[in-house]
Formats: sequence, structure tokens, C-alpha cells
Amino acid sequence: MLLHSPVLVIAKKEIRDSLRNRWVIFISLIFLLLSLSVTFAGSAVVGQLSLPELDALISSLSTISVFIIPLAAMLVSYDAFVGEDESGTLLLLLSYPLSRFQILSGKLIGHGVIMSFTISFAFGLTAVLLLLFGENYDVAATLGQFSQFILTSILLAITFILLGYIVSLTATEKAKAVATVLFVWFLFVLIYDLLLLTLLVADITFVNQYIINVLIALNPTDLYRAMNLIGTDAGSGSLAILSASDWGKAALYFVMSLWVFGLMFVANFVFRRRQL
Amino acid sequence: MNTAVSARNISHNFGSSVALDDVSFEMKQGQTMALLGHNGAGKSTLIKILLGLITPTGGEIQILGRNIRKNTNRSTLKLGYLPENVSFYDKLTGEEILTYFAELKGVGKNRVCELIEEFGLGYAKDRALKTYSKGMKQRLGFAQAILCEPELLLLDEPTVGLDPVASQFLYGKIDELKRLGCAVIVCTHELSLIENNIDTALILGQGRCLASGNLSELRYESRLKTRLTSPSLAALVNDSERLASLYTDDALLLDRESKQDVVQFLTSECGLFDFALKEPGLAEIYHFHMKKCTQIGVVS
Repeated sequence: MLLHSPVLVIAKKEIRDSLRNRWVIFISLIFLLLSLSVTFAGSAVVGQLSLPELDALISSLSTISVFIIPLAAMLVSYDAFVGEDESGTLLLLLSYPLSRFQILSGKLIGHGVIMSFTISFAFGLTAVLLLLFGENYDVAATLGQFSQFILTSILLAITFILLGYIVSLTATEKAKAVATVLFVWFLFVLIYDLLLLTLLVADITFVNQYIINVLIALNPTDLYRAMNLIGTDAGSGSLAILSASDWGKAALYFVMSLWVFGLMFVANFVFRRRQL
Repeated sequence: MNTAVSARNISHNFGSSVALDDVSFEMKQGQTMALLGHNGAGKSTLIKILLGLITPTGGEIQILGRNIRKNTNRSTLKLGYLPENVSFYDKLTGEEILTYFAELKGVGKNRVCELIEEFGLGYAKDRALKTYSKGMKQRLGFAQAILCEPELLLLDEPTVGLDPVASQFLYGKIDELKRLGCAVIVCTHELSLIENNIDTALILGQGRCLASGNLSELRYESRLKTRLTSPSLAALVNDSERLASLYTDDALLLDRESKQDVVQFLTSECGLFDFALKEPGLAEIYHFHMKKCTQIGVVS
């Protein structure tokens, strides 16, 4: 009965659609390639080949993932609504006995499953290979760290899927939606971090730890990195600032959850107001 | 016959622009109504109101005896809809697409199989939609619209881009549904094609109802003249002042009142039996109303 609920019917269709257009394979391979390169060949940049410390590895992986996961998530979701609108199926779906929230939830579950699968596959396989070929890794610690890394990556992906939906729901055509998601990605992933770092380096008097925490909370990519780096010896620069955040992990997870629910609320609000 | 749709004084505004202005019509179950009008006349808005996607700013609509402004539970309405130029999911197969919509409507797999066969798509049901021709896609869309065995079916340009055989196939299906008591509203610009397949028509112009009724009523209302043609007409016109006054463009243009007299005159006085009478068609009636609409400066 549950399998025939409209939300799951829509989720199943989204998963099937993504499998057919080879998105899942494509993203999985990109994540895997990236993860394996950072793990097994990352040390090459300093002129040697060795497996990194677990903390350093998670730090490197999160630094790379923070660029690629948001982009992949938004590319999966940007045409979820504007694409269906252009093809006429959104109007058709809305003529069915479905609420807009059901359509939104169904799509989020579908796309969430796709991103969760690709992230878990790539980084999970990396963890397994690391345990098989590395000698100095504690099994429990490695699995624990990677589980947390995978969980936070999924949360980051969901956040950007929802940002992609908001773009898709406000765009009038697919081409504009693509341009907007690239701008959103650029803003959240590149510009915001740069501005944050500038602010910190400028050593302006009013910038204290509280303001830094607020600035971290205002960007899911910084939250993601803080969640993975907190309490670790994470190097220098902005990473050190993120790892020194005096928030507990629970608080960071809570703020990330607020992002997810907040964006879900906004997406639903925009969808309800969207003119047909 | 029960009333399928009853719309009274429907109005709708988008901000300051008036999409529908005091539109009223009624149609019975088992009837087909053509919804006609120029681009921007308000047809799509009316369809969206009927689908429950837009709440009209004024007026009352009853569908199958239920007031749709008050009835928020749309799942109880057996309503089918085929949007204009719908493009389904290219990567999915025909059967997967129909199953998807069937599951959303709570319709069983048996109905999907039955419709696939009925619409002659059995041989292509496992093929991706991108390999389908325009006609096949439209048949699939039509099958989607009648999944729940609707009591009211709304079709937006169902035959646009189809060859005559494919169009006739769809109108054949509409006739079958009518016989089962389904009320069908067809929004189209293919007037000559739909003329023989409708019971009534509603002509909209700039959000207003310009005319409505069956073909006879529309002809009467428009007062357009009947054309009488014959190979021997030109010779007769030269000898008759009465006929000459009615003669334009190789035909006699007869109004409702004079038609019987003139025909009687031709057969009894002139011995002419080889002639054809052509009543004004839907296209002429439509163009008449559009012209009138333009003349009074309604159409921008």
C-alpha cells in the first residue's frame, strides 16, 4: 500500500529516469574517481606516495567534495519543475489528485536516494579499499569517520537539491535555471568562502568567534566542512577556523537540519505560489 | 441527460488583466463541446478552472453536480485531461509512462494493459518514448487521459500535427466515450476537423463569450447566409432580377427567410434541380465572430 502512495510513485519515477539517463553512473564514477585519487594519489603532490592520516584524508575529501557535491546535486534537480513545466507534464500532474507538497516530497525522495546512493557507493568503496590496502587504519575509527563523512555529504546534497528546486520553481525556462544554479554554486562554494576568509584575515575588531559561527551557519558548505573537521587537526587557513568552531557536532547537525527544513518550506511556498 | 458542467458568470483576473469575463455555459453528459477562440481568448484559463487548478475570481462552476469551488477533494471527480503539446518522459517506455500515471490515479495494471492494446501501442510498449512518432505519443497521451474512465474529458489541441487517419482515430475514440456518457470538451483551432464531431461550441473572444450553442443555433445567431451553387446559375441570373440581387461570387447567398422561397422559385419557375446548398460551417461562424470582435476593438 505504502509503495503505491503518490509520493513514492513519483520518487520511483525520478529514480528510474535518472538511471535511464545515466546520471547515477556518471555521478558515481566522478565521485569514485575523485575519492580514490585523493585517497591513493593525494600524497603525490608532495613528491611521495603514501596513504594519508585519517583526519587529513577526511579533510582533503571534504575540501574536494564541497565543490563537486553541490554542483552534482543542483544539476540533478535544476529541471525538476521548470523542465516538467516546459514539457507540459507539470500541469498534467497538478490536474491529478495530488498536492504540491506530495509532488515536491516525491521528487526530493527520488533525487535524495540517487545522491545518497552515489555518495555512499563512492566513499564507502574508498573506505573499504583503504581498510584492505592500508595497514595503519583502525577499522572502527575509519568506518566511523567515513560514515559521518557520508552522512554529512548526503545532507549537503539534499540542501543543494532543494536549492536547485527553488531555482527550478522560480525559473521561466530551463536555460535560465542552468545559469542560475551555476551562479548559486559559485556564490555558496567559491565567493562566500573567499569573503569569509578575507574578513578573518583582515582581523576586523568586531569579528569574534560568535560572528564566525553565525557566518559558518549561513552557508551549508561551511557547515559541512565544519561538521567534518571539528576536533581534527585540519591544517591551516580557513580549514583551521572551521575546525576550531566552538560548536558541538550536534549543534552543527541541528543547523544543517534547519537548512534542510527551511529550504523545504521555502520550496513548498514558492511552488504553491507558482503561476500555472 | 444529466448536466456534466454548469458554469455561471465565470470571471477571472490575472492582476489587472481580465482573462475571463462573465462566461456561462452548460453541457450534458454524453456531449462534446468545442472550446474555440483566438490565442489569449481565455480558453486555457477556463480549462484550468475546470481542472480545479485556478479558483475563479467570480461565478459558480458545477462539475457532475459538485461545486468545484467548495469541493476540495478532487480525487472524487472522474476527470481526464490531455494538455496541449505534452511531451512525456523521453527515457521511459510507453508502458512505464502509462503505469506511472495509472499509479498516481490509483488505477490498476489491467487497465494499463487494456489501454495499450486498445490504442494499438502493444508492439511498442517496451520502447523508449523518444522512438515514438507524434501520432503514437498523442495516442499514449489520450490513453493517459482516459485511465480513470472519466466522466468529463478535457482535450487541449488533441489532433494538432496529426495526419488525417490519426485524427479520425482519436475522434472515433471520443465518439465511443460519448456513447458511454462521458462529456468531452475539446479545445482546438482545427475547425473543419471538429465540425462533424461536436454537439455544441463555445466561442470566446478576449475573455468574453461571443457565442454558444449547437451548430444550428450558432448559424441562426450569426445570421450568415446559405450558399446555393449550380453550373447553370450564371445563365439564370442574367434573366432574373430577383436572382441577380442575391448573386455574389458564383453563388446565391440566401438568408434564413428567403431560402425556401428562392429554392421553390428555382425548382418550379426555372426548372433547376441541379444545385447544391451549403450552410455556413463552423469555420465561417468562427471567423464571423472574430471579425465582429475585431471591429468592436475587443481583440488587440
